[in-house]
Amino acid sequence: MNRLNFPLIPLCAVLALAGCERAEQVTTRSDQPLHGGTLVYATDREPTCLDPHVAGDMPQVFVAQQYLDSLVSMDSDGRIGPWLAERWQVSADGLSYTFHLRRDVHFTDGTPFNAQAVKANLDHMADPKTQSSTAGGYIRQYRGTDIVDEYTAVVHLATPYAAFLEVLAQGFLGIQSPTALKRSRDENCESPVGSGPFKVVRWDRQNQVELVRNPDYNWAPPTARHQGPAYLERIVWKFIQEPSVRFASLQAGEVDVIESVPPESHEAARRNPDVELIIAQRPGNPTNGTFNLRRAPFDDIRVREAFVRSADIEGALKSVYFGEFPRAGGPLSVATPFYSGAFERSQDYDPQRAARLLDAAGWTARDAQGYRTRNGKRLSAVVLIGARTPPSELTLWEQVQATTRQAGLELVIDQMSDAQVTARQAAWDYDIRTGYWNTNTPDVLRIIFGSAFVQPAGVGGYHQNSSGFADPGFDALLDDALATQDPERRRALYLKAQQQAASQYLQLTTYPQSTRLGLYKTAHGVRLEPSLAVTYLYDAWVSK
Amino acid sequence: MSDPTTLTDPRRERLGALARRAAIRLGGGLLVLWAVATLTFFALRLMPGDPVLAILGGTTGNPTPEAIEATRREYGLDKPLPVQYVLYLGRLVQGDLGQSYSQHQPVTRVLAEQAGATLELTFAALVLAWLLVLLLTVVTAGRGRLIGGLASLAETLSAALPHFWLGVVLLAVFAFGLRWFPPAGSDSLASLVLPAFSLAIPLAGFIAQVTRESLELTLDQPFILSARSRGLSDLAVRFRHALRHALLPGVSLSGWAIGALISGAVVCEVIFSRKGVGRQLYQAVQLQDLPLVIGITLVVAAAYVLANILVDLLYQWIDPRQQEASA
Repeated sequence: MNRLNFPLIPLCAVLALAGCERAEQVTTRSDQPLHGGTLVYATDREPTCLDPHVAGDMPQVFVAQQYLDSLVSMDSDGRIGPWLAERWQVSADGLSYTFHLRRDVHFTDGTPFNAQAVKANLDHMADPKTQSSTAGGYIRQYRGTDIVDEYTAVVHLATPYAAFLEVLAQGFLGIQSPTALKRSRDENCESPVGSGPFKVVRWDRQNQVELVRNPDYNWAPPTARHQGPAYLERIVWKFIQEPSVRFASLQAGEVDVIESVPPESHEAARRNPDVELIIAQRPGNPTNGTFNLRRAPFDDIRVREAFVRSADIEGALKSVYFGEFPRAGGPLSVATPFYSGAFERSQDYDPQRAARLLDAAGWTARDAQGYRTRNGKRLSAVVLIGARTPPSELTLWEQVQATTRQAGLELVIDQMSDAQVTARQAAWDYDIRTGYWNTNTPDVLRIIFGSAFVQPAGVGGYHQNSSGFADPGFDALLDDALATQDPERRRALYLKAQQQAASQYLQLTTYPQSTRLGLYKTAHGVRLEPSLAVTYLYDAWVSK
Repeated sequence: MSDPTTLTDPRRERLGALARRAAIRLGGGLLVLWAVATLTFFALRLMPGDPVLAILGGTTGNPTPEAIEATRREYGLDKPLPVQYVLYLGRLVQGDLGQSYSQHQPVTRVLAEQAGATLELTFAALVLAWLLVLLLTVVTAGRGRLIGGLASLAETLSAALPHFWLGVVLLAVFAFGLRWFPPAGSDSLASLVLPAFSLAIPLAGFIAQVTRESLELTLDQPFILSARSRGLSDLAVRFRHALRHALLPGVSLSGWAIGALISGAVVCEVIFSRKGVGRQLYQAVQLQDLPLVIGITLVVAAAYVLANILVDLLYQWIDPRQQEASA
């Protein structure tokens, strides 16, 4: 500190007092991490359960990343590294994973971490009683775990699943204390126990979650910036639903970090010297409208491409999100491992091409309103918008509606309750379904376009593949990609899969999902964990 | 032999009549609660969409068929609807509101954790509204056309203000501009001020309108003139003599106001990030959390019924003539 202050003295003689203060702020900002203190974090949505194995929605994984460790880690290049597992071997058939575990880890309730804990966690995720839809859904191939010795576990899969390590790196599959998991699901939702840098002490519903530092922590992942216990003494994780109130609270310094900075406030945040923005795209399938291939008009690939080409997404993003959200043109978002940029332009706005395609498809006549018709039937498509869809997303589709109209394509925006959307989805009663999928593996293509996911999951369940696309060649490509551990071979196979999905025009992709943090000048070292672009406060500290 | 005084004591008779009336109203209230529970149950269960899918994360989730089956069995959603209804009603009679699907807690616990904050907010708003009413009407009623007209305009305007707009304006001015009050939370008394005002101001507008009208009528009564002729000051006449007569319409409006306040609380709790059953209800409806929706609806309905019974009895107490007419 003193050494840094010294060269500032001559500066003070020249600069006005205010300028001098600014300079001092800058020096504290780049200073060494301070130990202790409380960071106040404000987010929009409250989790319904703190255990990320149960259900599995994004708000859960954001809290879980602070108090749970994972078996393996993922770096920003998508490479898998050690964490609770020091190393592992995969059998030649891809069906058995042998994990060699760290020996020095224990959970915050004192339970030691060992092979038994690995088994208890994977069993817990796969157990139907857990009500898991994310973690459990990602390990459908799981058959069981053998405990070879205290620190060696062999996990058996039913089919080869090269994406297994990738999904294990997600906070959704974080490792919890087996002692705590023995309690009821609801108890574990309220007060889950992990081995992470912080521990959950209290959840005051509709208000905040309090976490305190785990003083014993000494097993940070290789992606972390330091080792040993976290710098922060305490985290207060608040829920402020209204975006404008959240942003104003940040500007006032009432909170140190906010999540989901509203895009309309990005410019104000950039202009405010006290506020810093961190924006990262999330991996997976970008925000999109998926076409229903099982009925007219989108059973015709020419109409699908014509719809995509007649929708001016770049223009809509500029007016709705002030140009803050980039266009996503391919089936995978940029942050996904094995992403290829080759398909980003395959959805570019091209009304002339749209007109040619529609002419070729026989939609040549026009009705009184100027919409194209074929055999007296209007070219019309219905998009379902649920009640929880943000208003900005609805506006985006209204912009799409305005531009496709010019091509003679009618887009009907059907607003209804989310329950009705689920019911209409199950009945295939739609032309376009909006959605996105956050995950750190290109295997997402299998879930959203694979023929196995055209079938509904269980009685009254719904299909994950809302396009209805079913192609044995495409399925084989994705199965092959799961059967090899060779990264170059996986890259080549996923390139082909992306190429096929893009050329089939199965979706109108709009923009990638993103994590957008706003940091007040009191918050430092806040980072995003790479697997899902989730807030990670282990390296963070506060200066207050 | 019975004591003749018990038969003829008018005070006892009055209390007895009051108790009978209370019992009849309570019985009616129970009937209302049963109807509310039944209506909510069928309205939610007959809505399209499967609650199990909502529990497992809606269309963005990827549950296995086994998880869907297990969840359906766990909450008894695999049974026929009439059976579910009878089972539900049976548990309700025993005071068991069931387990919330979305909160992973018993409904009674959710209510215990959240109801206090809503009660605090609505009570504060009601008291504040009455303070504003008394200030505005007693001082300005019957003061000539200009003052009365201006005050009446202010009342009409504030009665028409939407809670949402008022909440945002109060936030912008007093939380973010002047920084007098915290913008979010429900931990301190200071955080209660802005939401209470955003609920109280429109309500005060409503109550003041009817109170002013009846106050002006009362001020024209002969007994006011006789009070003034005894040399009482103007304010003393207004507060001690006229007010009691003029309060009745406002009091009965307060019973209705409990309902309005709770619907306003939903909005205020969301804007000011407060705890409370209003915000919880909003979420529960979205997540098709049937037990929680019915639980909150029942408690709100019970509060509404109870408030109206109290208002009814208060009415009798303020104005004994009412009782004779109805007895």
